[in-house]
Amino acid sequence: MVFLLCGFTAKHCIQQAFSSAWFSIAHGKTSVSCTSSAQLFLRRTPQRFLNQTRGVKSHKRKYQSQEDAWKKKNRTALTYIAATGVAMIGLSYAAVPLYRLFCQATGLGGTISGHDAEQVETMKPVRDRIIKVTFNADTHASIQWNFRPQQSEIYVVPGETALAFYKARNPTERPVIGISTYNVVPFEAAQYFNKIQCFCFEEQRLNPHEEVDMPVFFYIDPEFDSDPKLARIDTITLSYTFFEAKEGHSFPFPRYS
Amino acid sequence: MSTAMNFGAKSFRPRPPDKGSFPLDHFGECKLFKEKYLRCLRDSDFDNSQCRIHSKDYLECRMDRELMKKEPLEKLGFKDLLEEQSEGKGPGSH
Repeated sequence: MVFLLCGFTAKHCIQQAFSSAWFSIAHGKTSVSCTSSAQLFLRRTPQRFLNQTRGVKSHKRKYQSQEDAWKKKNRTALTYIAATGVAMIGLSYAAVPLYRLFCQATGLGGTISGHDAEQVETMKPVRDRIIKVTFNADTHASIQWNFRPQQSEIYVVPGETALAFYKARNPTERPVIGISTYNVVPFEAAQYFNKIQCFCFEEQRLNPHEEVDMPVFFYIDPEFDSDPKLARIDTITLSYTFFEAKEGHSFPFPRYS
Repeated sequence: MSTAMNFGAKSFRPRPPDKGSFPLDHFGECKLFKEKYLRCLRDSDFDNSQCRIHSKDYLECRMDRELMKKEPLEKLGFKDLLEEQSEGKGPGSH
């Protein structure tokens, strides 16, 4: 940098010498004397150079302002990045209810798509697809009920409502409260198996030596026929399991989340 | 139920029934209708389409005896049966 500056001053000395020589020649002045050599080495900044901001201090000032500009740019960039980070975190928290709403609205991923009563009223049975629904009944080891289905199977078509019966008997001397849950196999068919009314997820009380019929009113969604994964499925098994509901024990009921 | 090794696979989620739970028929008030229905099923080789009239009768019995919320039968999928009934009654009445 210093060498450059020297070079600059040397250049302007030479320039000055040339210009003063030319000036004196042009104006007929023959004042070429030994003072001109002194003039050559006298460092005078000509006017046109005064307005320029070249020089060690000015260069440093320029560098400083450039650094300031970089710092400012860095700061704005950092602010943007921080804001993006905060936004991402906020979005991930907001995504939970949003995703739930989205799934409920579109029914993607097998979530409950809000069956409406309209469907039961307007659905058309698909007559050429006969499905055998077999029934299974289980009890948990601790409950002493006799629980069994009253029919082994029913042949049903998608889009048609059907009724099935289970029977439960309490052979003990004390009233027993039971609560049941169900399962449908194969798993892919479970989303098309809709129960209109049944006896599950609610406490059912049986008095001593009492026997009741428990109906299940269900239908298979007509969309079952158009699902390629279920093209070769023609048997669905509905399985109920009864548990004893103890005092103060609350079961988590399935809910629309 | 999904096996224990099925990480990430969708598990079975039991769904609540659309119209809730049937109250228990402690006194067997609709037992006759149930017997008719089951006999029909056994006779027709467990074919549901032939015994829907009996299931409709059973549900009507339940509704009459406060064992089920009263609903128009069309909403329970018996629209075609009701239409057949009205058709059958129509020419008969004339």
